[in-house]
Amino acid sequence: MVSPSAPPQPPATATDAPLPRRGIERLDLMLLCAEALDLNGAEATLILSEQLGFQDLIPNRVELWKRRCHNPLRRQVRRGTLAAADSDALIRILCTQCERLYPLLRALLSAAEPDDIARQRWELFEDRLAGLVHERMNPRRGGVQRLLEGAEGARQRRQLILAMALAAGNGGFARLKASLMDAGA
Amino acid sequence: MKQTLRFDQISCRLQVEGLPDVSTGQSGDGLGIITGWSLQWAGRPELEGKKEHLVALMQAVLPYARLLVSGAGRALTSQGQEVDIAPAAGGGHQLLLRSSQPGTEPLRVVLDDAELSDLVRVLDQLRLDSRLLLKLDLPDDRPLRGREVSHRIPRRQRLAAPAAAVLALALSTAASLLWPTPRPPAPAGQGLTQAGKLNPPR
Repeated sequence: MVSPSAPPQPPATATDAPLPRRGIERLDLMLLCAEALDLNGAEATLILSEQLGFQDLIPNRVELWKRRCHNPLRRQVRRGTLAAADSDALIRILCTQCERLYPLLRALLSAAEPDDIARQRWELFEDRLAGLVHERMNPRRGGVQRLLEGAEGARQRRQLILAMALAAGNGGFARLKASLMDAGA
Repeated sequence: MKQTLRFDQISCRLQVEGLPDVSTGQSGDGLGIITGWSLQWAGRPELEGKKEHLVALMQAVLPYARLLVSGAGRALTSQGQEVDIAPAAGGGHQLLLRSSQPGTEPLRVVLDDAELSDLVRVLDQLRLDSRLLLKLDLPDDRPLRGREVSHRIPRRQRLAAPAAAVLALALSTAASLLWPTPRPPAPAGQGLTQAGKLNPPR
């Protein structure tokens, strides 16, 4: 369940520049991972949006979808840049979701888990993620193919889960936003 | 007057003790002076230290976590060289803690991703706690520059553009060398016989 109390928000990073292309890709993929971990992830995103005070920016599922369609890997892509206020809202929602899903993220990352249980957890997550990626992403894009296939795909999926674990909670916002603003996009 | 802040995660517990700094008007449950701290890790020795050691731990671990979010983890050291953190050879993360007491060997701790996340979370909880009325000297999170994240792009893709440019330059140079230069015009009265003249007079 979603926690009813909105966490205190730390100050945003200094830059209000829009996210680069690769930053939007990673943000949307992390939101997709959150949906793969939580079957009610889409509804939880909307509830969190309201609880965090972003109902003006993201009042419904369509508006959320329109913002996420700035990801160039999607089947339906919107041109232009994602406004800084919108990307900040999505990052805050993601950080709060990561906080909520932290026990699951931690279980995936822990080396102390028995191998067979860890493998089953990863298989379950990867099956759901692959389903969501096939449903929403353009399979002809190299980035989508790399995410789903081979050792490079497994490394990318683990990297996404690790980034989500380290971005969980109040302290994660500035860390994740700075990462999404990296050069070389 | 003595205050204790405690932050728990699954694999660790951070406990910070201190006092409000009454010289600056602090009171109540605020903590303006750190007198000591301890970090308990499941299955590992407990760490204890002064404020400087805690700040050094944060100076190494939090920027390292920032790099890991970008997938660019590399070795980092705190400002005073008390704490090192780096990716471990066999996976995980190696934390090296140097004691300020002479003759004490550095302590090596290898953490997996989950334990590192727990550590980052307790440090985040501490630095963002409203009861901590102390300015911590920590670097801001900043975006990485291009060369710091160049490893993300596969080498073949990274080298494709420069290789294509070099190839295009070589081809255009070769083509320009093979292009025939115009012959110099023959001097007047030489090279053409009467029969060879164009439009001979009838």
